[in-house]
Amino acid sequence: MRAIQMIPVMALAMSVIVAALPASAKTLPQPHGPVLLTLSGEIEHTNGDGTAALDLEMLREIGQTDIETETIWTDGMHRFSGVSLKALLDYVGAQGTMIETSAINDYMVEIPVSDAVTDGPIIAYELDGKTMSRREKGPLWVIYPFSSSSDYRTEVIYSRSIWQMDRMKVK
Amino acid sequence: MTQPANAPRRVWPNRARAGGGLLLALAAMCLAAIVFLTFEITAELRFLGSADSDNVHWTLSQAEVEFLELGNAIDHARVSGGSRLDQVVEEFDIFYSRMVTLSSGQLYAQLRLDPGFAGPVNTVRAQLDAMIPLIDGPPEALWAGLDEMATQLEALRLQVRNFSTAGLQHFARSSDESRTSIAVILQRLALVTAALLLALAVLLLHSRRIMARTSRREKELGFAYARLNTILETSLDAVIVAGMDGRILDFNSAAERIFKTESAAVRGKSIGEVMVPEHLRAAHEAGMDRMRTGGEMHVVGQGRVKLEAMRTTGEVFPIELAIERATTEEGDLAVAFVRDISRRVASENELVQARDRALAGEKAKAEFLAMMTHEIRTPLNGVLGNLSLLNDTPLDTAQSRYVRNMGISGKLLMQHVDAVLDVARFESGVETGREETVHIGQLIQDIVDSQSITAQANGNRLTWAWSDRPVEWVRVDASRLQQVLVNLVGNAIKFTRDGQIMIEAEAHEGADGLRLDLRVIDTGIGIAPDDQARIFDDFQTVSEAQSKSINGTGLGLSIARRFITAMQGEIGLESTPGEGSVFWLQIPVTAQEAPGMPEAQAAFVPTTDLPPLDVLLVEDDDINLEIAQEMLGRMHHVVTPARNGQQAVEIATARRFDLILMDIRMPVLDGLEATRRIRASGGKSADVPVIAFSANVLPEAKERFAAAGMSGFLGKPLKGAELSELIATFFARETSAQSPPPDAAPDASAHAPPASPGRFDTLAARHSAELVVFFDDISRASMDRAEIAERAHKLAGSAAAFGQHDLRAALVHVETTAEAAADTDGLQAALTAARLAWQNAPAPHIG
Repeated sequence: MRAIQMIPVMALAMSVIVAALPASAKTLPQPHGPVLLTLSGEIEHTNGDGTAALDLEMLREIGQTDIETETIWTDGMHRFSGVSLKALLDYVGAQGTMIETSAINDYMVEIPVSDAVTDGPIIAYELDGKTMSRREKGPLWVIYPFSSSSDYRTEVIYSRSIWQMDRMKVK
Repeated sequence: MTQPANAPRRVWPNRARAGGGLLLALAAMCLAAIVFLTFEITAELRFLGSADSDNVHWTLSQAEVEFLELGNAIDHARVSGGSRLDQVVEEFDIFYSRMVTLSSGQLYAQLRLDPGFAGPVNTVRAQLDAMIPLIDGPPEALWAGLDEMATQLEALRLQVRNFSTAGLQHFARSSDESRTSIAVILQRLALVTAALLLALAVLLLHSRRIMARTSRREKELGFAYARLNTILETSLDAVIVAGMDGRILDFNSAAERIFKTESAAVRGKSIGEVMVPEHLRAAHEAGMDRMRTGGEMHVVGQGRVKLEAMRTTGEVFPIELAIERATTEEGDLAVAFVRDISRRVASENELVQARDRALAGEKAKAEFLAMMTHEIRTPLNGVLGNLSLLNDTPLDTAQSRYVRNMGISGKLLMQHVDAVLDVARFESGVETGREETVHIGQLIQDIVDSQSITAQANGNRLTWAWSDRPVEWVRVDASRLQQVLVNLVGNAIKFTRDGQIMIEAEAHEGADGLRLDLRVIDTGIGIAPDDQARIFDDFQTVSEAQSKSINGTGLGLSIARRFITAMQGEIGLESTPGEGSVFWLQIPVTAQEAPGMPEAQAAFVPTTDLPPLDVLLVEDDDINLEIAQEMLGRMHHVVTPARNGQQAVEIATARRFDLILMDIRMPVLDGLEATRRIRASGGKSADVPVIAFSANVLPEAKERFAAAGMSGFLGKPLKGAELSELIATFFARETSAQSPPPDAAPDASAHAPPASPGRFDTLAARHSAELVVFFDDISRASMDRAEIAERAHKLAGSAAAFGQHDLRAALVHVETTAEAAADTDGLQAALTAARLAWQNAPAPHIG
C-alpha cells in the first residue's frame, strides 16, 4: 500500500524538479521543404545559427489546432487550421515575453507571450482544409478565435492578426 | 405595561406617503433610464472597443503603398533585365491579397455600398485577376508582358487613389456620427443622473423628516409610558394585568400593599390562586371561561362591582372591582382595578347600626308618647264627663264659674293631649293619609263657617276667595288638609285683633299635575324673622312678649308641616312684624268628577219622639259608667250595666235589649270579642245594634269594630248630643219607616247612618271605593278565604246601610260560602253573583 502511494508523489516531485531546472537546449530537426517560418531570439531549441527554421511538415508535427471563426477581412464563417502559438513557443522553448512578428512585406507587430494560451491564437496554414497561397494571405496567418469572445475583437488584436507571416523573434 | 387597544397608531400622513411614493417612482424611472442609457453607451463602447475597424486608414493607405511597391518592383525588374521577377510576383501577391480584403472583407461591406469606393475596387480587382495567368505563368512570359503590365498598372493608379480617398471620407463621416451619438447619449445620461440625484436628495430629506418625526413620537410614547407607569405605581387602587389564561402579568405597588405580597412573588401565578377567596373560586373560573370564549360578561366591562378578595395572609376582605378587556399585539389582556373598601364597609356598617339604634329609640319614644297620651285621655274623659254632669246640678254663681273654668282648662288640656297624640301617631307610622273626593270650596267654606264666631270674638273678619279660576271636586287627604287649615286659621285669629283674615285659594296646572295653593293671610302682629325659621319645629311657640295672652303646645304648625310634607306638598310663611303674616301651602291634588249627590237630607231625623229604650251599658270604668248611665237616664232610657265583656255576653244572651253600648278595652273579655259572641250566641240580643264606645278614635279601630259586628261608634268622652243623635238614627227610622228591610235585622251595622250630609258623602265615597278595591283584589290576587269572608261581611254591612239590599244579600252569601268549607266552585259562583249585584246596585243612599 505504502509503496503504491509513493509513486504519484514521486512523479509529482520529479515533474517539479524538471520544470524548475533550465531545460537543456535541444537541436531541432532540419526542415526538408520550403521554410515557412523562421524563429529567432530567446529560444532554446534551434536547428542552426540560433534560429529555428520550420517547414510545413514540422509545423504539422507540432500538432494541429482548428478555429472556426469569422474575420473582418473575409466573408462568412471559416475553419482555420494551424499550430497553436502556445504549442509553437513550447516547441522552440521560447523564454521571452514578447514576440516580434514580421510579414513578407516587412509589416511588423509585437505579440505578447501572454497571448499564447490554450484556445488562444494559432499560426494558421490551412483555410477550410486547403493551404493558403500568398495571394490568399498565406502561407501563414496568425488567427485569433475572434468569434469566441469579444475580447478578441479589438483593434489591438486585429493588428496582431498578421498575414503572410514568415518571421518570429522572441524577446 | 401594554398598549391599550385604542392607543393612537403611528399614522403616516397621507400627503407624505403620496409624496414619498411619487419620489420613489421618479427615482425608479430615473434608474431605469440610466440603466437603459448605460446599456446604450456600453454598446457604443463595445462598438468602439471591438471596433471592427482594424486601422482602416492605414489599410487604405497601405493599399496605395503596396500598389506603388508593385509598380516599383516592375520598374526594378525592367531595369535589371528580368533578374528580379520573383520580386514582382511577391509584390503582386501582396497587393492582390490587399485588394481581396477590400473587395470581400466584411469590414468593408458597408463601405462597398458606396459606388465611389466599390467601382474603383472592382475595376482594380478585375484588372489584377486578368494579370494572374501572366504572373503564374513562366518567367519568360512575365518578362515579355512586363511592359504591358506596367502600362496597365499606370492606368489603375487613379482608380487606387479614388477608392482610397472615398474610403477615408466614409470612415471619417461614420466616426463623426458615432461621436455625436455618444455625445447625445452622454448628455441624456447626465440629465437623467442629475434628475436621479435630485430625487434621491428629496427622498433623503423626506426620510430624514420621517425619521425625525418617528423619533419624536418614540420619545413622546416613552414619556407617556413613563407617565402612565408613574400613575399606575402611585395609584391608590391596585392595578393588575393578567392574560387570558388568568396568569398575572403586572402587579402595581398598590396591589402589593393591598394584597400584602410582592409583585415578583405573584407574577406568572394564577389570579384565582392568589387573590380569589375559596368560596368564589368556582365563579371566578367560570367568569374567566366566559371571557375566553366571549360569553356574557358579569364583571368585565360592567363598571365597579362589589366582591370579596383574599390577601396572601388568607384574610378575606371586601373590594370594589372593575375589569376591562384590552386587545394588544401580544393578545387579549384583562386589566383589573381593585379598591380595598374594607374600611368603608366597616364604617358603613357602623353607621347603619347607629341609625337603626336611633330609629328604634325614636320609635320607642313615639310609642311611649302615644300610649301615655292615650292613658291620659281616659281619666281626662272622666274629669270632663263629671264636669258636664256637675254643670247640670244646681250650682251657685261661684261654683258655676269654677265649673266653667275647669271645663275650659279641661278642654284645653284635651286639645293638647290630642295634638301630642297626633304627632305621636304620625311619627309611629300608625296613621296613614287617606284620600277622598271632596268639594274643595265646600271644605274651605265649612272652615270659615266654623271659625267665624271665634274670629268675630277677636274683632276679625274672616273671608275666603279663589284668586283665579275655581276648581271644585278634587281628590285629596281632606281630613288632614282640614286640620292644617283649621290650625292656620286658628293661629291667624289668635294673633290678630280687629283685622282681616283671608283664605286665598288658587289652582294651577304644573308639570306634574294639578296643584292647589292655599294662603292664609292675616293683618296680625306678624312674626319676627328669627322666629320664622323655627316656627314649623316641634314645641315652638312665638316669643314671650307676643304670646303672653295666648296658649299653645307649639305643636300645631309642626303637625301641619308633617301632614303637608306627607301629602308631597310644601308649607311656608312670609311675615312682616306689625303688618301681618301669610302662611301658604301648596299640595298636589287630582281633579275629580262630581260624585252623584245622594238624598242626604233624608238622613236628618228629629231627635225628639224617641221611645224609651232598654240599653245594656258595658263599661269597666266606674266613672265613665256612671256618666253614661246618668246621660242615658236623663234621656229616659233604661240602663242595665255590665262591668266586662263576659258579663255582657251572659246578660245579652238571656235578655233582649234595644241597644248595647259596648266599651272596647275591658278586663276578662274585651268589647270586640263580647260582640262577636253576642252575635254568634243566637241569644235574645244577638241582633240588636251594638254601639262601640271607646276613647280609641283611630279609623282603623272603627273598622275593627265594624268587623267584629258592631253597628256604630261613639267616641269618649260621651257627649249627650252625639248619644241622642246616634240613638235617633237607629230608632227613629224603625218607628218612621214603613217597614224595616226584612233581612236587615240581624246585621245591625245596617243602621250606621252618616252623622251629617258631608259625613255621608265621605262615607258613601269610601264605601264605593272599598267595593271597587274588593272586587279588584278578588279578580287579581288570590285571597285566603278568611279574608274574603271578613271583607265581604264588612261590605255587606255598608251595603245595607246605603240601601244596596241585593248587593248586601249577595255579599252575605259570599261570606257564608267562604266560611263554610273548601267549596271553591261555590265561592266562585257566589263572587260572580256578588259582582253582578254590585254592577246593578243603586248609588249609595239612605233609606
